[in-house]
Amino acid sequence: MHYLKCLKLIILLNLIISFQSQGEKLRVGLVEYPPHLNFNMKSEDTPLYEYVNRWLNNLNVKIEYVRLSTERGIKEIQNGKIDLLFPLDVEIDGVKNLQTPLFHSVPGLCFKREKFIPILSATHRFNNLLVGVPTGVKIVPALENSRALIVELKGNEAIRRGIDLTQRGRIDAFYHPYPLQVYHRENPKYQEVACSSFHGYLNPVHIAVSPKLSKYKVDSIESAYKKAMEDISYDYYFATRDKSKYIKTH
Amino acid sequence: MYLNKDKIVSVSVQQNPLVCLFLMFLVFCSLSTHAKNNDAKHVLGDVTKIYMSSMTYIFKEQKLINQRGGNKSKLFGSEFIENIRVIYKSKYSEPFPLIDHKSKKVLLQSMVEVMEENRELISDEKLDFKGIIPATFAFQLSAKLSTKGVGLKIKFTRTQESIRNKLNNPDTWEVKVMKSIIKKPEVFYDNNALLNGKAAYRQFTPLPMVPHCLRCHGVPAQNPLNFGKNEEDWTDIDMTGFKMEGWTLDDFGGGVSISIEKSVIDSNRSYQ
Repeated sequence: MHYLKCLKLIILLNLIISFQSQGEKLRVGLVEYPPHLNFNMKSEDTPLYEYVNRWLNNLNVKIEYVRLSTERGIKEIQNGKIDLLFPLDVEIDGVKNLQTPLFHSVPGLCFKREKFIPILSATHRFNNLLVGVPTGVKIVPALENSRALIVELKGNEAIRRGIDLTQRGRIDAFYHPYPLQVYHRENPKYQEVACSSFHGYLNPVHIAVSPKLSKYKVDSIESAYKKAMEDISYDYYFATRDKSKYIKTH
Repeated sequence: MYLNKDKIVSVSVQQNPLVCLFLMFLVFCSLSTHAKNNDAKHVLGDVTKIYMSSMTYIFKEQKLINQRGGNKSKLFGSEFIENIRVIYKSKYSEPFPLIDHKSKKVLLQSMVEVMEENRELISDEKLDFKGIIPATFAFQLSAKLSTKGVGLKIKFTRTQESIRNKLNNPDTWEVKVMKSIIKKPEVFYDNNALLNGKAAYRQFTPLPMVPHCLRCHGVPAQNPLNFGKNEEDWTDIDMTGFKMEGWTLDDFGGGVSISIEKSVIDSNRSYQ
C-alpha cells in the first residue's frame, strides 16, 4: 500500500518537474456558476475557485485566471487560447474533460412560493401546470412525460424572464438545469421563488481541457486533481467549508 | 476391513504429503472465503443500519426541518452526523460502527453533502412543508452515492405496483427477494449476486411498517392534514401530494436494498 503511494508520489513529482521545465503558464477560464463560482464576488472568495486553485498551485506553474461567458469560454478552449475551463455542464465538440466530474448538478423547477411543489416525483401534480423552459434546454423525462404545459422561454435572458413571469403569475413554474444557481441566499433578487429538484437526474459538471494542451501537461493536471479529490472531494469541501468566509463584495 | 471416513483421510495423508498440502490449501481457501463473506456482511450490515438511522433522524426532525426560522445547525455538517450516531446507538443498542471501510466514510460524507444541497430549502423562512422526508432523503442519498465511484449502491424500494417514485423501482434481484420474504420479512443476504454485470454482495433488509409511515400511507384519519377537521372535509392526498394507499401496520413496508461490488470490499479497508 505504502509502495503504491510512494510510486504515485514519484510519478506526480516527475510530471510536475517536467511541467515546470516547460516554463509556461497555465491560462484558466472561469465560467459563472453560483453558488460555486459567483462573479458578484472576488474569485478568491468563491468555493470552487478556492478548491481548484489549491491543487493547481501544487503544479508550481504560473496560473492566470480569466472570467468568461460560457459561449466565449467554449470558443477559447476549442482554439487553445485557454488551457482549462470550468465549471462546465455541457459537452464540447473536440474538447475532453478531466476524468472525474467536479460535482453533479440536478435540474428542477422554481415556483412562486404559494404554488410550491416540494416533491417532483409526484408528477400527477404537474397536470395543466404552465412551465417555462428556456429554448434549447432538454427537460427530464419526468416532466416530458407529464401533463404539464410547456412554454418556451426565448432569448439570452430566459432564466431572468422565467423568474419574472413566475413572480407575476403568468406561468406556474420555470425549469432550470440547476436551480441552486438562482435559489441561494446570496441572490436576493430571487427570493420570491422556491425551487425543488428532480432528484435522480444528475448531470456531471466538469473541468474542460484544451485539445492543444500537451499530453504530459494533461497528465500532470489529471494527477494533481485526482490526488486532491482523494484527499477531499469538491462536494464535501463545499458542504463543510467555512461559510463565514464567503461574503459578498457588494 | 471396515473404515470410517476419518481413518480414510488419516491413511491418505500419511501416505502422501501432497494430499496433506492440498487439504491445507482447501482449508485456507475456505477460511479466506468465509472471512471475506463475513467482512462483506459486516460492511453491508453497518452501511444499512447507518442509512436507516439517518432516515429515522430525518423523521424525528420533521418539525425542525419544516418550521420557519430557528437554529437548524443540527441538520448540517458534523452536528448532523453526531445526531445520527446518537440515533444509531439508541435504535440498535450497540456502539456506532468503526469507519473502517471507504463505503462507510463515503456514506457519512454524502449525508452531509445532501443536507448542504438542501440548505436553502430548509432555511427558507417563507415555506412550511419542505418535502425533506425519510424517503426523499434516502433517495437523494442513494443518487449521491451513485456518483462516488465506490461500487456501492443503496436503495429504499418496495414492490413495483405500489411504489411512488418510479426511479426507485426494484430490479430483478429485488423483485425475486421481496417475493420470497414478503410473507415472512427477514434480512436476505446473497454473497453470489451480480451488480451491473460484476460480482457483488447484496443484502435486502425489510422495514417494518410503523405508525409514522401511516401518516402518508395509511387512511385519511391518520393524515395530519385532516387533524381537527370534520370528516366530510378530509382529503386522501397526503402532505407530499400523493394519494394515501390505505396501508396498515400489517402491510409490507418495503426495504433497504444494498449492493457492493466484491472487488471493492478488500480494496477500501482501513479508513478511520
